[in-house]
Amino acid sequence: MAQLSARPRVAQRSPLEIGVDRVWRFFCSVRAAVYEIVLLALLVLIGTLGNSSVPDGIADVLPFTAPLVREWYAWDVFHSLPFAAILTLLAVAITVCTINRAPAIWRAIANPTVPTSHGFLRGADPSARMVSTATPAAFGDDLIGVLKARRYRVLTERRGDEIHVYADKNRYAKLGTFPFHLALILILVGGIVGARFGFREQEVIVPEGSTRAIGNGTGLSIHVERFRDTYAESGVAQEYSSDIVLYNEDGEEVRRGTTTVNHPLTHDGVVIYQASFNQAVVLQITDAAGRVLFDEGLDLGIYQSKTNPDAPAGRLDLPMAGLQLNVIAPDNNRVNAPELDDLQLRPGEMYVKAIPTDPTKAVTAGIVRQGEAVDLGGLSVRFVRETQFSLLQVARNPGIPIFLLAAVLLVGGLAVTFYFPHRRVRGIVSPAPSGAVAALAPLAKRDWSGQRDFHRLLEEVANRLGIQPEVHASDESGFDRDGARPDGDQPMQPGRIRPAATASRARTR
Amino acid sequence: MEGLVKLSFYCFTAAAIALASSAVCYVAYAIGRVRLRQAVMQTSAGTTFSTSSAEFGPGAVGIGRYGTLLAWFGVVFSGLSVGLRSIVAGRLPLSNMYEYSLTFIFVLTAIYLAFERFYGVKQLGAIVLPITVGMAIYVWSLPAWMRDVDDLIPALQYNLMMTAHVSSAILAYACFAVAFAAAVLYLIASKRRIAWLPSPAMLDDIGFRAVTVGFPLMAMVLILGSVWAYRAWGTYWQWDPKETSALFMWLVYGVYLHTRGLRGWRGTRSAWVLIFGFAATVFTYYGNYFFGGLHAYGGV
Repeated sequence: MAQLSARPRVAQRSPLEIGVDRVWRFFCSVRAAVYEIVLLALLVLIGTLGNSSVPDGIADVLPFTAPLVREWYAWDVFHSLPFAAILTLLAVAITVCTINRAPAIWRAIANPTVPTSHGFLRGADPSARMVSTATPAAFGDDLIGVLKARRYRVLTERRGDEIHVYADKNRYAKLGTFPFHLALILILVGGIVGARFGFREQEVIVPEGSTRAIGNGTGLSIHVERFRDTYAESGVAQEYSSDIVLYNEDGEEVRRGTTTVNHPLTHDGVVIYQASFNQAVVLQITDAAGRVLFDEGLDLGIYQSKTNPDAPAGRLDLPMAGLQLNVIAPDNNRVNAPELDDLQLRPGEMYVKAIPTDPTKAVTAGIVRQGEAVDLGGLSVRFVRETQFSLLQVARNPGIPIFLLAAVLLVGGLAVTFYFPHRRVRGIVSPAPSGAVAALAPLAKRDWSGQRDFHRLLEEVANRLGIQPEVHASDESGFDRDGARPDGDQPMQPGRIRPAATASRARTR
Repeated sequence: MEGLVKLSFYCFTAAAIALASSAVCYVAYAIGRVRLRQAVMQTSAGTTFSTSSAEFGPGAVGIGRYGTLLAWFGVVFSGLSVGLRSIVAGRLPLSNMYEYSLTFIFVLTAIYLAFERFYGVKQLGAIVLPITVGMAIYVWSLPAWMRDVDDLIPALQYNLMMTAHVSSAILAYACFAVAFAAAVLYLIASKRRIAWLPSPAMLDDIGFRAVTVGFPLMAMVLILGSVWAYRAWGTYWQWDPKETSALFMWLVYGVYLHTRGLRGWRGTRSAWVLIFGFAATVFTYYGNYFFGGLHAYGGV
């Protein structure tokens, strides 16, 4: 007999389509996403340990690892190519995966499949069966009433003489995954925007009474009118703040205010932070012709004396005079290593060294007292008074609003996802000789909380309809063991509804 | 005020004693008790002999209740200790490892008791309470000068942020400790079928629920820390080791949630991820001992 065979025609796909499909599937793969997160976590761990004493400890115990440990310390993981690559990969995976999942999630919310099968309900763990003397339609309505009372949305479909029921609650919480994952992308975007379009000057040193330009295209200058530092009786710094004035390019005052730690001053997106402070000295430097070359504060403490680390020092370049001035203040911790205090300066004295840029000229140095002047390298250097400098940070970060939006989405998304779990129940109400029989089961396989919720639903059925449901639950579901505990405390599971039988599925432990 | 500081320490001592006693009760309750049975038999020839057998059974109900009662004492006394110190300092005690750990003991015990009440299981206490006792020993071991209430450095003088940021961290760590306890019990309950332990399904759920509370809180820690850093230091992320170790920890729990929710991992594998996550939590908690960086002032 001739046999007709028809081979199904498979549409030939181009290598490009196959490639795109594979890449798409890779990014959609949860397994790949987990590996990516694990890899990212591993890099974060390596970077974290690289900023700790742990590698040193490893090298101490295992000396042969010393070269590796040196490499470890030298590697800036968080600004490395592998780290950027894994972040990019993860961002793409989140985007692709979210796009891929969106239609299915929306279908589950808007158009879930209502019909189910008796096979599913028989095999479900747990499931419940209940018998009523009412007609299937009336019993169905009763069950729908109970489900609605427990805030379930109920969808029904008639199949022959059976009523198929699908009920769920918190369905929109399934959308919580989108703001959460969007937030992760936005955090990265915020970081990129901040780095690309913002700036951060970490050390803007402005001695009291002096003015410094901020730069970075702002056209602003900062003038520190007054710096204050207050201390508690214990000696701990309580507050340090700077009264500052901001000037624009034309020298007009645009903002006046105080910046303290935790309370920065903001002007037009530029934020000025009080970071630190230290000693400064006001010098007046004039040349032989009487021209004033410098008349403001010079910060001390960014440098120290070469020979005495406890002696704060400052450096002033005077290119117009062909000189560099090094200024050293008295030792501020005389108890510590007094043998290093070679200058033996007293309070109210400064050591000034004039180093010509022309190496053939002689270096001159001298000690100058407050209110007096000393001639060095053809210049008169007057020590006017001691003061302080304010160490400010100046930043502009246009990524901050994006970051804040991401923060709200992230926490909101997580809260919705975790605290409003999507609960689903399927069932069939069929005619029976005595009236009607209903089989119900939750879609909560190995979900203890979902099963507990189902149990409460059954309790409600028992209370409202006066019908004792017959529960089928395996030992694995935990229904039988957690309902009644040996300590006799109030059990969380309702005690009146007991499993009718233990499912035949063996416990696989 | 010095008197209140001392009283706070005495309350902590009372809490430590209560928690240690509670831990003993919980462990005894979880292990169960040996019941000896003796039977006297008589043969047809008229000879009598006795047999004895021993079998394990659930712990005495009373000892479990004592565990809970003592844990409540621990909460009350540690709460008093925290409260008195708050009155003296004018803020929550969160500024160094002594204060931080003191508050952690209070929060962890309270959260554990909330889980105990919600799920109606006491056996978790056999893992959680020994952790609180370990923390109490650690607090005792800290140098005595840390018990003094000191003025805060300017960077920490932002009461709202410090309270929100550090309290979120303590709450998150406490939730992760409960998840750890559930994971350890899960591994025990799934390997050996011990009738009086909670079902593995419930323990798996407890671990998951604890993480669903702790994970968003940890996200809050990172976010609030970033917002505070932006106000204090001019940037919301500095790759500071304490920041990155907290991020690492968050990623570990992110792996747990992804594998559980999307890959369907339940049970043993998830329990091991939770145990690893708790190791990461401990690493972050004690990181100040071996990290430098911007959080160094929180150390010892």
